[in-house]
Amino acid sequence: MSIMSYNGGAIVAMKGKNCVAIASDRRFGVQALTLTHDFQKVFEINDKIYIGLGGLATDVQTLSETFRYRVNMYNLKEEREIQPKTFAHLVSSTLYEKRFGPYYCEPVIAGLEKDGSPFICSTDLIGCTTFPNDFVVTGTAEQQLYGMCESLWEPNLEPEDLFEIISQALLNAVDRDAVSGWGAIVHVITEDKVITRTLRGRMD
Amino acid sequence: MARRYDSRTTIFSPEGRLYQVEYAMEAISHAGTCLGILSNEGIVLAAEKTVTSKLLEQINHEKVYRITDSMAVAVAGITSDANTLVNYSRNEAQKFLFTYNEHIPCEQLVQKLCDLKQGYTQYGGLRPYGVSFLYAGHDEHHGFQLYQSDPSGNYSGWKATCIGQNSSNAQGILKQDYKEGGMSLKEAKALAVKVLAKTMESTSLTSEKRRNFTFDFFTNYYFFEKVEFATLSLVGEKVVFHSYTVSEIDSLLKEENAQALQAEAQNST
Amino acid sequence: MEILFGFVGKDYALTASDNTAARSIVVQKRGEDKSRILSKHTLLSYNGEAGDTCQFSDYIAANIKLYEIKNGVALSTAACTKFTRRELANSLRSRNAYQVNLLISGSDPKTGVPSLFWLDHLASANKVNYTAHGYASYFILSTMDLYWHENLTLEEGLGLVKKCLKELKIRFIGNLPDFFIKVVDKNGIREIKL
Repeated sequence: MSIMSYNGGAIVAMKGKNCVAIASDRRFGVQALTLTHDFQKVFEINDKIYIGLGGLATDVQTLSETFRYRVNMYNLKEEREIQPKTFAHLVSSTLYEKRFGPYYCEPVIAGLEKDGSPFICSTDLIGCTTFPNDFVVTGTAEQQLYGMCESLWEPNLEPEDLFEIISQALLNAVDRDAVSGWGAIVHVITEDKVITRTLRGRMD
Repeated sequence: MARRYDSRTTIFSPEGRLYQVEYAMEAISHAGTCLGILSNEGIVLAAEKTVTSKLLEQINHEKVYRITDSMAVAVAGITSDANTLVNYSRNEAQKFLFTYNEHIPCEQLVQKLCDLKQGYTQYGGLRPYGVSFLYAGHDEHHGFQLYQSDPSGNYSGWKATCIGQNSSNAQGILKQDYKEGGMSLKEAKALAVKVLAKTMESTSLTSEKRRNFTFDFFTNYYFFEKVEFATLSLVGEKVVFHSYTVSEIDSLLKEENAQALQAEAQNST
Repeated sequence: MEILFGFVGKDYALTASDNTAARSIVVQKRGEDKSRILSKHTLLSYNGEAGDTCQFSDYIAANIKLYEIKNGVALSTAACTKFTRRELANSLRSRNAYQVNLLISGSDPKTGVPSLFWLDHLASANKVNYTAHGYASYFILSTMDLYWHENLTLEEGLGLVKKCLKELKIRFIGNLPDFFIKVVDKNGIREIKL
């Protein structure tokens, strides 16, 4: 069994029209044993960027703290908020620093760029980035998520439609994964606000 | 006599003094004035910039730096030394947040920086940092706090204090006008403006002129371009750091100026 | 085979740990207290690889005490947990990582609000209402799922401990005879005999 699926979890991010959404399940478990269902896997970087960390829980926590450290230092030194593209590079280089003893964690990033256009990005555990045009997925329910997103997603979704589609994609994907689920949290980032909703899924 | 004992920081003179450290403090007493005033609702930091040429590009701030969400410092002394120390303290604050997931208590950060400064008065081959700091901070343990530190690594807590040029003058005014039992943030701001106006370039003014034109003189002479102003206050539960823009400083000075003139007029009638 | 579990009640956090020091199939000692006091209001309970456990928890306890002496204020339970997690996470990436499972229980000295944190040997940390480590979790998590609620008085809490121990007696092969039950509340840490 892979260390990447030791704790379980599923994260997805999608582009919409001038908005972007990111969602994750909330389960924390040790293999098949569920321990909590309020585990945080998606972290706010600023009000335009969120990062979802899928994989081994200890590295999810370590990396979220590392990113907070580095982004805080960036903000203080540059006296401006970090941009999604810059942040993606920061994530990538942070992961590659541990090239030969990696963090077992594959992040997805969702954000809005300065001009309001949506930005999504995913990297592998050593920081190789990809910037797709539609959606990115990570975690143990990755394959199920690809199937759901492939059939539900369409271009230029408005925030509320995007919320509905990302929620349905995630909830239905994790129902076919034994180590993901137990509720979900969804953030839709728009130009003027972030809509955050927690969802109850099948709690079994 | 001093000659033989001032070339190294690590050597005591026969009178038990560390000359290099004293020289560093001397350097600071020529730097632009920085003052800090603690009020019930927050802290005011104000600083005088030394403008060497009107062709020099204005840097938004070179005297007041933000360290964390709930802490800022004003510096007097060698700016390049200050940059290093500011960077060091920002890193220490983030390290603390990283290990404990809590904000560093103000005094601990001051202590960290002073430990570093102290090291340079003891280990050979290096000169001490030529910087004094004023620290404005807020934490859950002691609320708003104001500290001051010097190149020797000593630090102390204050209600209102001043470092740099003319600091003894300024401290005199602060001592006289500081309201024991606490002030509002607005009162603290007014006091800060008053002290700056009375201490800045006071040597170039006759006492007669100073009495009459205290405020007017400086607003006309682009006083607002020569000072930096920042406040740390609470909005709800959140600590908010506000660094004043040039136009905000201008309007603050105009407001205080008008009030001072009004008060003066009332006194004379 | 070691048993360690805990929960938070209305105004206290409780942990229960077996008191057996065993190696392979041999019991070496009964009455081993597998916990360390981190501060007046924070308790660290542990199990795992013998040696690692003592070494690691002594190291943590000493450093948290040092912080308190140096700075004149004790770390909060949450800060103790973060510090412990950081140390464990750093050790995880070394050649010989500490193999310890931990529960950190505490009570806020000002508000009296209790808290309980679960950490495993990989240094994942979670704030929990009730939890367990090791094989015991397969039996007593369901017991606590059924009977735990957030307003448990101490008396009800001790009733819940009894239910959990009874469940272990019936279904668990590693039938351990005696337990240390420790409660942390506003007044500090104390042991309770059932």
